[in-house]
Amino acid sequence: MASKKVPSFEYALCMACGSCLPACPFGCLSLSKQGLDRYRTAFPRLDRPESCTGCALCAKACPVDCIGLVAASDLVERKKENS
Amino acid sequence: MKACMGKILRVDLEKRSFEEEIIPEETWLGYLGGVGLAASLLYDAIPAGADPLGPDNVLCFSSGLLTGTGAVMAGRWMVACKSPLTGGWGDANCGGNLSPAIKQCGWDAILFRGIASEPLVFIADAKGPGLEAAGELWGMDAIATEEAILSRHAGGKLPAVAAIGPAAERLSLISGISNDLGRYAARSGVGAVMGSKRLKALVLKGNRPIPCADPAAVKALSKAYSDKVRRQNLPGLMKGRFLPVLGKIMGGKQVLPLDGIMSAGIMKRWGTIYNNLAGAVNGDSPMRNWGGSVAEFGARHYGKLDPDRIVKRETRKYHCYSCVIGCGGVVDVSDIMPGISHSHKPEYETACTFGALCMNDDLETIYRCNEICNRSGLDTISAGGTMAFAIECFENGILTKADTGGLELRWGDGKAMVALLELMAARKGLGDLLADGVKKAAERIGRGSERYAMHAGGQEPGMHDARLDPMMGVSFSADPTPGRHTISASVYYNVSHVWEGVPWAPKSTKIYPKGEEYEATEREADKSVAGTCLKQVLDAAGGCLFAVATGTQHWRIFDYLDAATGVKRSREDYMDAARRIQTLRQLFNVKQGLSPRDSIMPQRMAGEPPLETGPLAGIRVPIKAMVSNYWRRFGWDPETGVPLPETLAAYGLPPRPAFQAAKLEVE
Ligand code: SF4
Ligand code: SF4
Ligand code: SF4
Repeated sequence: MASKKVPSFEYALCMACGSCLPACPFGCLSLSKQGLDRYRTAFPRLDRPESCTGCALCAKACPVDCIGLVAASDLVERKKENS
Repeated sequence: MKACMGKILRVDLEKRSFEEEIIPEETWLGYLGGVGLAASLLYDAIPAGADPLGPDNVLCFSSGLLTGTGAVMAGRWMVACKSPLTGGWGDANCGGNLSPAIKQCGWDAILFRGIASEPLVFIADAKGPGLEAAGELWGMDAIATEEAILSRHAGGKLPAVAAIGPAAERLSLISGISNDLGRYAARSGVGAVMGSKRLKALVLKGNRPIPCADPAAVKALSKAYSDKVRRQNLPGLMKGRFLPVLGKIMGGKQVLPLDGIMSAGIMKRWGTIYNNLAGAVNGDSPMRNWGGSVAEFGARHYGKLDPDRIVKRETRKYHCYSCVIGCGGVVDVSDIMPGISHSHKPEYETACTFGALCMNDDLETIYRCNEICNRSGLDTISAGGTMAFAIECFENGILTKADTGGLELRWGDGKAMVALLELMAARKGLGDLLADGVKKAAERIGRGSERYAMHAGGQEPGMHDARLDPMMGVSFSADPTPGRHTISASVYYNVSHVWEGVPWAPKSTKIYPKGEEYEATEREADKSVAGTCLKQVLDAAGGCLFAVATGTQHWRIFDYLDAATGVKRSREDYMDAARRIQTLRQLFNVKQGLSPRDSIMPQRMAGEPPLETGPLAGIRVPIKAMVSNYWRRFGWDPETGVPLPETLAAYGLPPRPAFQAAKLEVE
C-alpha cells in the first residue's frame, strides 16, 4: 500500500497567512510552529496527522503554493531560510 | 459571476426562522460585495425611523468578494446596520477569521432581524443554520465566550466565532463585536445592536468551496505581492526610538512621493504602534482631547510609548486570515494582569486614545484599558474619547467628585482612568452615563460640557488630526459613517496609486507643498472622492487598508477582482460601483432623517481656535468649504449633502432588488 500523503510546508516561502487552516475540513493544521524567523511569526504545521486524509485542499488554498503533499514517512520539517 | 457564493441567509430571531435568497447578477456588478452588498440589502430592509435597538434594525455580516479566492490581504468581514450612535448608516470591519467562514457556510452575507425572546447563539455547520440558547455564555466576556465555544469543538475543525461582551449586552452604544479572541469590528455601535437582538455569538463551521474564476491568475498576483512583502525587512539597527525622524518627514512642509511598499517593513516590525512616536512629533496624534500638543506631552512622555517596548511583549505575531504582513501580535501581559489568557497587542488607536489623548504616558494603563475594552466589548477609540471628555469636564469643574463617586479625573492619571473604564464597562455610577459615548454623555451632563464633546455626528473620531491631514477631516465630517479614520486621507492617497487607470483621480507623483492640502480646491476634493471610492472597493472586496497603503501598483486589487470574478472591467467601472455604494450609504442617512451637515466635526478639531503650540500651531482647516466641494464632486447637493436626482438616476438608486427566494438546502 502506498504511504499516506500529508502536507509539507516550504517555510522559506510561507507567509504565515493562515489561508490553509480553514481550508482543511478536519482541522488538522494549526499555527503553532515558531522560531523560524526573527519576528516570532507563528507558521502552520500539521498538528493532527492522524486525521489528515491527504486531500490537498490546504495546498490548493495556499496563495503562494508552498504546500506540497509528501509521503508521511518522508515528512521532515524544513527550515525557513530568509529573514 | 464567480468569487461570490451567490446567496445570503436571512435569520429572523423572533420567529427563529431562516430564509435563503439568491442574489441576482446585477447586484454583484453594481455593488460588488462586502459593504456594497450590505448597502444594497439594508437600504430597503431597514424602515425609515427604525429604532436602532429595536426589532426592525437588521444586522448584516458580509464577507468580502475576494475572500477565499486565493487573494492575499483579503480576509476582512463587514458588519452593517443602522447605527445607534449616529442614527444613520453604521458599519465596522474586522480581519480575524470570520470572513472565509461566512462563505464556507454557503453565503455571502447573514442578516439578523428581530429580537430573540432569550439570549441565543447562531450556529451554522454541515447541518445548516440553527439557533441555540446562549445559556451560561450570556454575561461572559467576549474572549472567554469564544474560548468556551472553541473548547467544545476541540479535536476537529475549529469554527470561526464572532461574539459580544457584557458591555454590548448592556447596550453600551460604544460597543463592538469581537472575532478571533479580541480582534474587533468596533465602530458605529454595532455591538449594541447585536446585544439588543440578544444574539451572543455566531459560530460558523462550513466547508464549502469558494469559487474563483481564474485561480492561477489570482495566485500569480498573490505570489508577486508576497515576494515584495517578504523582502521588506527593516535593519535591526532601526530602533523604535528613531521613529520621530520618520514622523517629522511625514509631517514636513514638502510632501514627498514615497513607495508604499516600504510600509510593509514597518508594519511587520511594529504594526500600527509605530505611530506612537511618529504621530506624536508631527501632530498626527491628538492630545489632551484635541486641545493640546507635543509641547505639553514631549519626548519625556511620548518616549515611554516606544513601540519596541510593546513588541518585546509579543509571544507571537498575529495575521488576520490571508494576511502576508501580520501587523498584529499576541502579547504577554500576565505580570500586569495575572491570569489573562490571551491578549492582542494594543493598536496605535488604542495606545493614543488612552495615551496622548488623555495625556497618559503609562504603558501599563494602556494594556489594562486595552484588555478591559477587548473583554467587555467597548470600542477603544470611543471609550478613550469619552474618557478624555470626562477628564476635561472634571478639570474644568463641570464634573465633580460628587459625580465621579470620589474619583479625581486628572489628565494622565492612569489609575483613575482604569477605574473609570471599569465603571463604563460595567455601566455603574458615572460609567453608566459615559457608556453611550460623548454625544450622549454631553446631553446628559449639560452645563456647557458640549464644548468638550469631540464627535462627528455622534461618533468619536479616530486618532489622526485633521489639522495635519485635512482630507482626514473631510472623511470625519462627510462620510456616511462619520468620525472614521480609515476612509480617505492624504497619507493613504499619496501611496495608493489609485490614479493609474482612473483618469479623474488626481495624480500624486511629484513633490508638492503641504500647504496645498489646506485649500478647498477641486483637486483636493477629487482626491477625497477618489480615496473614498477606493475604500468602498476595498470594503467590498474584503481587503485590508494596510494593503492599499502599500500601493495598488503592488497589491493589485482591480486585477484581483477581474481574475477572481471572471468579469473583466475597467478601473473606472469599479470606481463607478464605489460611487454607487457611497451614494447609497449617504441616501440611507437621508432616508433615516439625518441632515449630513450635522456630522461636520467640531470647530476645535478644525483649528477654531487654532492650537497655540506644537507642529500644528496656528493651523485652521476650511472644513465646511472642503466638505461642500466633496459633496458636489460626488453629485450631491453642495449645500445639504443630499444626493441629487440626476446622480440617483445615473446609478439606478435607490435599488429595487428582485430577489429570487431559494429553498433552504440542508446538507
Ligand atoms: S491534506 Fe487535506 S486533510 Fe490533510 S491537512 Fe491538508 S486539507 Fe487537511
Ligand atoms: S496558506 Fe500557504 S503561505 Fe499561508 S500559512 Fe498556509 S502554507 Fe503558509
Ligand atoms: S495588515 Fe494587520 S490588520 Fe491588515 S490584515 Fe494584516 S494583520 Fe490584519
